[in-house]
Amino acid sequence: MLLSGPSVSAEEFERGTGWAIRPEGACRGDVCVPLKVKPKGTGVDIAAVAGELGMPIVRHSSDLAVLGPASLGGRALTTAEAPELVLPDFDGEEFDLRSLRGQKVVLVAWSPY
Amino acid sequence: MTVCLESLGPDAARPYVDLASPEHPCLIDAAHLVDERFGVVNIPNSIWIDEAGIIVRPAEPAWPNAPDVPVDDSASDAAATPPGRMGEMMAAASQIVTDRAPYVAALRDWVAKGADSEFALAPADVIARSGARGLDESTAAAEFELARHLYGQGDIESARLHFREAHRLAPDNWTYKRQAWSIEPSALEGPMARFWQGPLPGAEADWAYEGDWVTDAEAGGISNYYPRFKP
Repeated sequence: MLLSGPSVSAEEFERGTGWAIRPEGACRGDVCVPLKVKPKGTGVDIAAVAGELGMPIVRHSSDLAVLGPASLGGRALTTAEAPELVLPDFDGEEFDLRSLRGQKVVLVAWSPY
Repeated sequence: MTVCLESLGPDAARPYVDLASPEHPCLIDAAHLVDERFGVVNIPNSIWIDEAGIIVRPAEPAWPNAPDVPVDDSASDAAATPPGRMGEMMAAASQIVTDRAPYVAALRDWVAKGADSEFALAPADVIARSGARGLDESTAAAEFELARHLYGQGDIESARLHFREAHRLAPDNWTYKRQAWSIEPSALEGPMARFWQGPLPGAEADWAYEGDWVTDAEAGGISNYYPRFKP
């Protein structure tokens, strides 16, 4: 997640990382991590939350940095609940993986190289 | 559903999509979100998700319903092998092992039986079998995202710097490597151009990366390029 400053809204944080900030902590699926530093208002202190979720912050310059994904548990998945995934199709229309609930889904990743 | 991992955007993959004329959701993932959120490290990979939105098989090599291509050990077939790097690539690719039959059989079993299929894994197993994601892998993901952003801004040298870091931190992540290599100049033209993924002939010293597809695939053992299907 590209960072534009030291804090973001909870909505932006969830959209960028897949982790929702709730009263019980940072949550993804059925996993919630209590946060030592409680969010103030609707703002999320990125450095504080990143530290608790094992998310690295990589800087290219003073005004360009990226927040990496969580490294809790040492595996790519912290829960078997499918992460949120909203991507455009080739006509530019957004498609939400959740719209396929009720069906079995085989998500196939490919590339033209 | 299919998701194309392509930082160059939809136009780079559109010819393939138009040819396939899919009837399923066919999406473009320029940011490689699927790598980050599902642990995809190579293609083709699949993730199976049940009707309740629960992953029952994490990212693993996925194959169409077609016979396995036999591994070709015929090094003596020199007349059919192009010279130079192209020949090296073809020779290496012919050694790649796939498990099409067991994968397709497992998929059909799950489609028919759902949760009763032996191939539908329990949540704990799904998590345990998902890719490694320590601090190095997470940092690699951040480096890769920085590289993509900088490439999109036209800062190619800075992009290469961060792609190299991503490769160093996550040496088993083929999507990071192949995406970066595929956008470098190629000695080929046409649809095969982006599969070159290595230095130009006579300009090896100008290659921006430590590895390339042939060198890295051979270093890890070609037969290990894709992990074997594990029921």
